Amino acid sequence: MLDTYLQILVSGLAMGAIYTLTAKGLFIAHLATHKLNFGQGDFLMVGAFLSMSLIIAGIPVLLAALLVLIALGLLGWGLERLVIRPLDRFGISGGSTYSWILTTAGVALILQNIAELVWGKSSHYSPPLFSEGRDNVIEIAGINMFVEEILVIGFAAVVVAFFYYMLFRTRWGRAVYTVAFNPEAAMLLGINVRRTVVLVFVLASLLAGISGILVGPLITIHPHIGLMFTIKALAVAAIGGFSNPLGILIGGVLFGVAEAFSNYYDSAFGDLYPLIFVLVFLVFRPSGLFSEAQADVR
Amino acid sequence: MSSTPLLQVDAIDASIGVINILHGVSLSVSSGELVTVIGANGAGKTTLLRVISNLLKPSVGLVQFDGAPTTAVEAHRLARRGLIHVPQGRQIVPTLSVLDNLIIGAERSEIVDSETLVENLEREYSRFPVLRERKDLAAGSLSGGEQQMLAVSRALMMRPKLLMLDEPSLGLAPQIVKTILNALRQLADEGLAVLLVEQVAMAALSVADNAHVLRNGEIALSGTASELRRDKALVESYLG
Repeated sequence: MLDTYLQILVSGLAMGAIYTLTAKGLFIAHLATHKLNFGQGDFLMVGAFLSMSLIIAGIPVLLAALLVLIALGLLGWGLERLVIRPLDRFGISGGSTYSWILTTAGVALILQNIAELVWGKSSHYSPPLFSEGRDNVIEIAGINMFVEEILVIGFAAVVVAFFYYMLFRTRWGRAVYTVAFNPEAAMLLGINVRRTVVLVFVLASLLAGISGILVGPLITIHPHIGLMFTIKALAVAAIGGFSNPLGILIGGVLFGVAEAFSNYYDSAFGDLYPLIFVLVFLVFRPSGLFSEAQADVR
Repeated sequence: MSSTPLLQVDAIDASIGVINILHGVSLSVSSGELVTVIGANGAGKTTLLRVISNLLKPSVGLVQFDGAPTTAVEAHRLARRGLIHVPQGRQIVPTLSVLDNLIIGAERSEIVDSETLVENLEREYSRFPVLRERKDLAAGSLSGGEQQMLAVSRALMMRPKLLMLDEPSLGLAPQIVKTILNALRQLADEGLAVLLVEQVAMAALSVADNAHVLRNGEIALSGTASELRRDKALVESYLG
């Protein structure tokens, strides 16, 4: 029994790592621009499909990952230039304060339809990234665990650490926090606000791409998986109060583990319970795991 | 004082929406000179600084900095060229530490090697010793006066040629205002061009070389600071 629980825990941690990465993309865009990409999950879906096709075509995993990241970086750049920035010109008077919700959701729909045209409506299985087969297991402390899951957790941890380093230890990270505080004050400090914001959307898109590459071998891929990932990433980001990277990390891991156990006990409605839990949680703590006063907890 | 002004503002008009804020404003600031613009609330002081740093385009007139027009240069590029504007409310980044706020300034002026950075930090810590004591605290936890000191120091980390400050005395105790204004005077004596926008007229006039009184978007009175200080009643009549 303990073996089963530990296996479920590892599966939950692996999915939790994916949700954390996807939610980090939402967090960084929200931090810098107070906007969200409602197509974040669909960017993940594109990343998963591209990665699958390239690996199946025989391209080595590392090169395939690099190509996927280049494509996703361009997608993030295009999103900011074509879908987010033009709205700023209209300002509040144009009634566009929340127009980005519609435009980013519109991009999500376009991506879903393109994916249907290219890969069809049916589900696909992505080859494993790190081992010979999807079901490869290794024995750790007498318990069999999936190699893919263990390595997904390890890789996601490296990406999260790198993300933290970028945000809190680099010139770019300080620029993001300055732009987040006040774009005009940032300009007066010599910060190129537009370039900083473009880079934010590129990074958010890369995080979705990495999530897509990693999640491919763990699930079945189809053109409409994006919405579910967007909803779950939003739930995870809400647990973290959107402004707190540590809260998002904890939220992502908890959500993944809770989902794995709830699916074990109820395979029909397993996805539902963690979302209900988040709803109830937000009733009691609407500003997330850490209150606004501790928004800078790292 | 050099003969060619570092900043030259020629007959600018500026509007926000359909409201005309500035009408034919001209002034100049040279290196080593501290010029103050005083005026009541709503006189157009902040708008004047926003036009100079190109956050707002003038509808008529020309602003030249370091011999070149500023209109086509984006605000962040002007800042990198040494036109530094400390806006009202100080605008320090509250979630970053005092040290990170200072480093933001240094980064944009391309102070990259650690030795120069440490030198510049030491210079600012000796100017305002409280910043050294608080360097690891979140800037948002500082008092208003300390935040203003941080804003001035951060601006100086950017190696300014011209330092413009929008009402640094706002909400501060007179003793702290004095410390900050004295620091500005010292900077001008060391060769920096300073443009100080203030509502507290006499305090500003006590440290300035030249002064302008702005009233309803127009320069109503200009002269040396000592002339204007002598005519306190006239100055105050313009300030309403």
